[in-house]
Amino acid sequence: MSEITNEPIGLTGSSLGEEQEIVRHRTWFQALWRSRNGRIGVVIVGVVLVAGVLGIFNITPYPASAQYNNAVLKGISLAHIMGTDQFGRDVFSGTMQGLGVSLEIAFLSVLIAGALGSLLGIMAGFLGKWTSAVIMRFSDMMFAIPAILFALAVVTALGPSVLDSSIAIGVGWIPIFVRVVRGPVLALRESDFVRAGRVLGFSRSRLLFRHILPSVAGVIAVQVSLALSWAILAEAGLSFLGLGPPPPVQSLGEMVSNSSSLASIAWWTLAGPSLVIVIAVIGFNFLGDGLRDAADPRTKTR
Amino acid sequence: MTLFLSIVRRAFSVLVTLFGVSVIIFIVLRLLPGNAVTASVGVSAGLLTKAQLASLDHYYGVGQPAVEQYFSWLHALLSGNLGVSLVYRESVSTLIGSSLPVTLELAAVTMIFGVAIGVGFGMWSALHPGRWQDDVGQTVSVVGLAVPSFILGTVLVVLMSTKFHYFPSSKAFVGLFTNPWLNIQQIVFPAIVLSLGIGAAILRTTRAAVLEVSGLNFARTALGKGVTRRAFVWRHLFLNALTAVVTMSGIQLGYLLGGTVIIEQIFILPGMGRLLISAINNRDFPVVQSVTLIFAAGFVIVNMAVDLAYALIDPRTRNR
Repeated sequence: MSEITNEPIGLTGSSLGEEQEIVRHRTWFQALWRSRNGRIGVVIVGVVLVAGVLGIFNITPYPASAQYNNAVLKGISLAHIMGTDQFGRDVFSGTMQGLGVSLEIAFLSVLIAGALGSLLGIMAGFLGKWTSAVIMRFSDMMFAIPAILFALAVVTALGPSVLDSSIAIGVGWIPIFVRVVRGPVLALRESDFVRAGRVLGFSRSRLLFRHILPSVAGVIAVQVSLALSWAILAEAGLSFLGLGPPPPVQSLGEMVSNSSSLASIAWWTLAGPSLVIVIAVIGFNFLGDGLRDAADPRTKTR
Repeated sequence: MTLFLSIVRRAFSVLVTLFGVSVIIFIVLRLLPGNAVTASVGVSAGLLTKAQLASLDHYYGVGQPAVEQYFSWLHALLSGNLGVSLVYRESVSTLIGSSLPVTLELAAVTMIFGVAIGVGFGMWSALHPGRWQDDVGQTVSVVGLAVPSFILGTVLVVLMSTKFHYFPSSKAFVGLFTNPWLNIQQIVFPAIVLSLGIGAAILRTTRAAVLEVSGLNFARTALGKGVTRRAFVWRHLFLNALTAVVTMSGIQLGYLLGGTVIIEQIFILPGMGRLLISAINNRDFPVVQSVTLIFAAGFVIVNMAVDLAYALIDPRTRNR
């Protein structure tokens, strides 16, 4: 869903004049911070990551599985900022832990997709015609299966667990990395500095990893961020359908699914985890847009 | 003639892609470790009729090496044998025959809503860049892309059934031709939920494409020579942005087929998605395999249709 996010080179962008647009940034982070999307993304993703990591290490306001009999189905209060569920468990603590699980799966799956997909994309762009043709045909075929269906099929075959969910979600996203990375590599292959490197007799792997890979790192970073937001959604969808990691591990999607029957009497049990999913997805989307703005000064429209 | 040739060429590449898709599905569902095909056939074998067992043998290519198993499956598919469900003890084609229309109806209604939302808000915000109309559009697109359909669906179901005591999906699903009024009530809410995400994606594309086109020289010329506002917006801007919008709609239609899986579960619609999920939970492999293949085939065919639509929309692409 998110590969369509190329922001317009709007009316203002081209008429402002190139001198104003080209700004030297000392670090990539400053470039990222300069774009409004980037700032929003960095802040939201930062908060989400901190909360998730705390959740993974069980550093939560209350123990996530502790049941308080005197606080069953309590609404939102200062003591329980997302209320409590039917067993008197603190929803906020549970949500932090669920967020941790979701992030683990999302990062693992994007690691799989990003590493394999980028490698295949670079090979398809840099190596010979035949390698390229084979890789591209294969990725077209993978692309023909909607990623969420692919995930469902893989989960059917492998069965649910954290690693299996990650593989299921990641593999379907590989062709997108292949496509996004191959284009720039094709252009770089014919660029002067790579030709110069070839004339100097640099080995293929040196050209690939020292010269080409750093140049496409920006493209990969944008895609990683967007893939993370998709992976969070996909994981939530899978575990909503009951195909996520088995209990006691509980991810956000499963929390949403479990609380749906409870929501008519205790809406906050549904609201907490839902809100966190939406915030995390929005954060990674903004970060992706910001990274794109930073990598390509022409698209800075706002 | 060139159009005909390009149709033939596309159809050929679709066939090649579908072949590859079937290989991938075969590898994922049959060759990965942990699959329980033989075991499950063994357990339910006593419950199937002789004829069903024979067709399932052919479908699986029982007792043959992997490559021959694949071709046996392919041969079975091509001769219309989609396997026998181990759970329902019925041929998979019968099951799909009853659930495919539901999913197609849902997809069609969703697409109508999605395109209306996407093109409507997209044009609106592109024509007022940087103003409040644009902010409204941007908000719709950010929220639409970030709120997963299953959250929206769950919230809608809870609201409808508890606050308004209205939940048409709790009645058994009826076909469009048996009871159109109830059928529409059952389809329209899941369609609204699904269409928001799709509409958001189309919105972004529409906005970007229209903004890009409106900066080009011909647009300025058109304004300069005094074309009416309406003709300018729809004939000069929208028509030129249309290829991008159609591409995006095609991609979204493909994703939509996957998205129906979750939404059918929430709104209890007996479509392909519900069939797939129950099959996954019961490890009913013939059903999973066939349903996945049909979804993928739908996606490939939609993409081909989109490619062909270019030739109709944009004469410049006809002679490629």
